[in-house]
Amino acid sequence: MGRKNFLKRLFYLLFATVILSASMVYANGIKIEMTGTPAEGWEHLWRELMIDITVIGVVFAAVTIYLLITNRRKRPGDEGQGPKLSPLAAFGWVVIPIFVFMADDIYLAAESFELWGNYRNVPANALVINVEGYMWGWDVKYPEKIIITNELRVPAGRPIHIKLTSRDVVHSFFIPDFHVKWDAVKGRENYLWFYPKQVEAGEHVMTCTEFCGMLHSSMFGKVIVMPENEFNKWIEDNKPKGGNV
Amino acid sequence: MSEKIVEHELTWHTSYWPLIGSVGVLFLAPLAFAFYFVYKMPMMSIISLGIGAPLTIISIAGWVKEGIEDEHGYSEGHSVWAMPIFIVAEATLFVGFFAAYWALRLTAPVWPPAGTPHEMPFAIPLIMTAILLSSSVTIHMAEKHLEEETGNKGGFLKWLIITIILGAAFLSLSAYEWSELMHEGFNIKTNIYSSVFFPLTGFHGSHVLVGIAMFVCILIPALAGKISEPFVKSASIYWHFVDIVWLFVVSQVYFW
Amino acid sequence: MSVASQALTAQSKFSLKEWIFTTDHKRVAILYLIGSFAAFFVAGIMAMLMRTELATVGPTITSNPTNYNVWLYFHGAAMILGYQIPSLTGFFANYYVPLMIGAKDVAFPRLNALSVWLYWMGIVLALLTFVIPDPPDIMWTGYPPYSIITPGNTAFYTFTVLLIGFSSIAGGVNFLTTIIRMRAPGITWNKLNIFIWCTMAAFVMQVIFVPILGTAVTLLSFDKYLGTHFFDANAGGTPLIYENLFWFYSHPAVYVILLPGVGLIYEIVATFARNRVFNYKGVVYGGIWGTVLLSGVVWGHHIYVSAIPSWLALIITFTTLLISIPVGLLVIGIVGTLYKGSIEFKTPMLYAVGFMFLFLIGGLTGIPNAMSAIYIHIHGTQWITGHFHYVMAVSVTTAIIGGTYYVWPKMTGKMYNETLGKLGFWLFFIGVNITFSLTMWLGYKGWPRRYYDYSQFPQFQGTQQIITAGSYIIFLGALVTLITWIHSLIWGEKAPQNPWGSKSLEWTHAPTPPPPGNYPEPLKLSEDWHPYGYGK
Ligand code: HEA
Ligand code: HEA
Ligand code: CUA
Ligand SMILES: [Cu+2]
Repeated sequence: MGRKNFLKRLFYLLFATVILSASMVYANGIKIEMTGTPAEGWEHLWRELMIDITVIGVVFAAVTIYLLITNRRKRPGDEGQGPKLSPLAAFGWVVIPIFVFMADDIYLAAESFELWGNYRNVPANALVINVEGYMWGWDVKYPEKIIITNELRVPAGRPIHIKLTSRDVVHSFFIPDFHVKWDAVKGRENYLWFYPKQVEAGEHVMTCTEFCGMLHSSMFGKVIVMPENEFNKWIEDNKPKGGNV
Repeated sequence: MSEKIVEHELTWHTSYWPLIGSVGVLFLAPLAFAFYFVYKMPMMSIISLGIGAPLTIISIAGWVKEGIEDEHGYSEGHSVWAMPIFIVAEATLFVGFFAAYWALRLTAPVWPPAGTPHEMPFAIPLIMTAILLSSSVTIHMAEKHLEEETGNKGGFLKWLIITIILGAAFLSLSAYEWSELMHEGFNIKTNIYSSVFFPLTGFHGSHVLVGIAMFVCILIPALAGKISEPFVKSASIYWHFVDIVWLFVVSQVYFW
Repeated sequence: MSVASQALTAQSKFSLKEWIFTTDHKRVAILYLIGSFAAFFVAGIMAMLMRTELATVGPTITSNPTNYNVWLYFHGAAMILGYQIPSLTGFFANYYVPLMIGAKDVAFPRLNALSVWLYWMGIVLALLTFVIPDPPDIMWTGYPPYSIITPGNTAFYTFTVLLIGFSSIAGGVNFLTTIIRMRAPGITWNKLNIFIWCTMAAFVMQVIFVPILGTAVTLLSFDKYLGTHFFDANAGGTPLIYENLFWFYSHPAVYVILLPGVGLIYEIVATFARNRVFNYKGVVYGGIWGTVLLSGVVWGHHIYVSAIPSWLALIITFTTLLISIPVGLLVIGIVGTLYKGSIEFKTPMLYAVGFMFLFLIGGLTGIPNAMSAIYIHIHGTQWITGHFHYVMAVSVTTAIIGGTYYVWPKMTGKMYNETLGKLGFWLFFIGVNITFSLTMWLGYKGWPRRYYDYSQFPQFQGTQQIITAGSYIIFLGALVTLITWIHSLIWGEKAPQNPWGSKSLEWTHAPTPPPPGNYPEPLKLSEDWHPYGYGK
């Protein structure tokens, strides 16, 4: 293959890179604004990401399959005739992939940063609840001095700010349905927040995802999302009665 | 000549010492430690040491003998290349320790933490530094004598022995200092500073010990007239490295 | 050649002494091979026990969760430290490096023997897990404070790591010196086999990073048994120090595993496509060394939710995503080598093809993990288990088994049965895809890792049973492979010198199997010799 041919190819590839990068930047620009809850942001980004990696995977797999089929050995003595790359072509086959992959990486990183910001900035009006992990259970403590174990009752329609600590080893607090998780470490106060919507009223699983010993898998409880008024009533009913605080 | 090489390559080379040494190490370290600290069986621990220590020492001795006599014709002076690579590994070992140390120290509300003696030793570490630095010079002198045209063996031996003595003096001072501190109630369990102080100085001390052991392994055959120059050179590179690490230890753990 | 056959007949009688005290790199390699496949077998059996236990909600074959935890601990630690790293940087490195660079042995044969036996002592120590009281139950990551307060024997974990770690460092010193100093005349840097480059890269990482792991696990035992306070929150320490040190090694470790595996795939693909490696320099300097360069700055992606600062999480997200670039170059190199090739699908090539697809799945599922925000949900779930089984357990195992098939004739002097070999592959391939794709799916649904029981997720039981069935198919596949090899050892035909028609030195110049000293005559390589010099 002549040098000129290669230059031509190099040009096409470069051109493709520019188009690809441009469309990614464009896609980034028109992306719907992420004003929702972290959980919504997560689901949105997850979907995008699955499409992204599926496309990459399918492209690579398709090329591989095509090459495997078309280049089978015809006669026993045959040898391959792979191209000897010119320095320029060799360079191109490194630099162009770098640009294409980097474009995708930058795009994904930017998306991730934004969502991370959402996860880590707790809205000011959030309801604060303390959760303490221990071997093996969760103590949930409300500002009204209610303490319950393995049951997290929260009002629907309000951001919930969980302050996490641990009494002993490292645990990790996880509510799959709200896509939130954070480690509970002794001697530190960590936090996370989530937003249970009205439609999510009902029971959800909360569980431990950091190995913490024999009954690690039994360290779970329920998140019970209640309508706001029911929740307030529950607080009132369970508040320690004055005097014995 | 070529006849000889061919004949030589007709046999599979063997050496007893790697396997014996490995078994020795298994008894010496993991088993003895676990018997003592995990299962609280001191007697078993001593038995384990009794098996492990002789095996390890025999293996080292046999290994050195084989190496110096070079019956396999392995030696081609690769060790001066290998030692720097090994030193990279040793260096990152200390980097790990120092990283842990600074992470503890920079997040501590007060430093030094409660329980540390008001007066940490001052003179002794300075003397120790002086000793170790001069031992680097003496081993260099030893090497110089070996490199001379004629190979001044007497000079080499003299400076090698002085280096060994300086190393031993360093270790003795370190032991003395440890015992003083422990008398004052400052031991490995006291606080996060002592948690770093003893392991780090002890760890460095163990390197000094290894260095001395290497010198002894050079000295004994040398007395019988057998010297492997690349081996001397690598040991000396190692010794300089141990010296440099000490400068980090002493500056950051004692005086900073 | 006559010298060689003389050597062979002289040496064909079996002598135990010449095996266990050997310092010859080919025999040391085989000692590694035996050790690492033994570890694979035992750790695989642990996996089968775990999978069987998970087939039903609640107790299935044991009612004591600690049993499950010990199996899992052993499975993870032995698969990584006992099977894959020693197989790649022990067996393959030992077998290939001196042969491929035209040397008669490694630089320090005795040190090499010490490496293999220290590794074996590590295996012995690990196997003691099954007989001692209070075996370690701390997972392969050994996080404090749990590993400190558990009654389990954390000291054995520490010492297993230290023994195998020291063995690795000795190996690193040995092989780096060998590759730098002992290449035969005419084998210049740009004429090294890709596998040699990968081995070099792996050992560079081992030498730099293993000591950090050594520090971490040593401090663990200090805290537990000597009373220091590194990870003790009561006295001002913090477990985060351990987590950082541990991953500072254990992330590069995954490339210590990946790169030699990829190197084997390159050898196989180049040989069976009879083709020059596509863009050799790009693969070596961009792909391999690019990976090494980035490997040290991404450790934080294992601890995003363990309270590392947000700015660090953001940087690490980016650096981790960037790893897709050098690894992508490696993939392009493999795929490109097929272009205009002349491909023959013998068993090793089948495994290499399997690798290409499995690795693509595994690598691409690492991308979500890398993104700190996405990670929040999937961390600590079986999604991660799926990711690393695809990318490490399964891909690299295909590389290892394929690579073993590839050296098999050279090493044993026997051919194997193609049909049996291919059957083993297909069982394995089908089994792993059933098992680990569904594992991943469950993780996405929120099923956490390291769960003995899942009574909070009873709806998963059906899927769990399919996964378990899949793992039995994997077992069957491995068993068929083992049978193929045993069959070959006993009934295999005599292998020709170069059954694959490779251009690489070990096939063209060394007798099969190679005698002591490898090359009977001094090597004379022509100016335009190249290990991938096909189709001129
Ligand atoms: C051989 C082993 C191996 C390899 C190669 C990898 C490769 C990668 N791994 Fe994986 N990983 C593990 C073994 C491995 N991993 C293990 C054992 C764990 C769990 C440890 C434990 O907790 O027990 C783990 C966990 C793990 C985590 C932590 C998850 C958690 O604890 O919750 C993360 C997070 O970022 C991660 C990411 C990655 C990435 C980004 C790569 C990348 O290197 C992948 C790069 C490859 C590709 C991307 C595909 C090919 C490239 C292309 C086709 C180019 C185009 C692609 C793009 C532009 C995207 N891995
Ligand atoms: C190289 C690494 C490796 C390999 C190969 C495997 C292989 C397998 N793993 Fe492993 N796994 C890990 C590394 C690996 N794993 C790690 C690091 C963890 C995390 C540990 C932790 O959390 O701390 C883990 C965790 C893990 C879990 C998660 C458990 C939990 O979180 O609760 C599960 C569950 O399904 C699992 C299953 C399997 C299965 C079914 C296989 C099967 O593929 C195994 C099949 C193999 C065999 C059954 C052996 C058969 C062999 C023969 C018959 C002999 C033949 C010999 C030759 C061919 C030479 N593994
Ligand atoms: Cu708490 Cu796991
Ligand atoms: Cu990683």
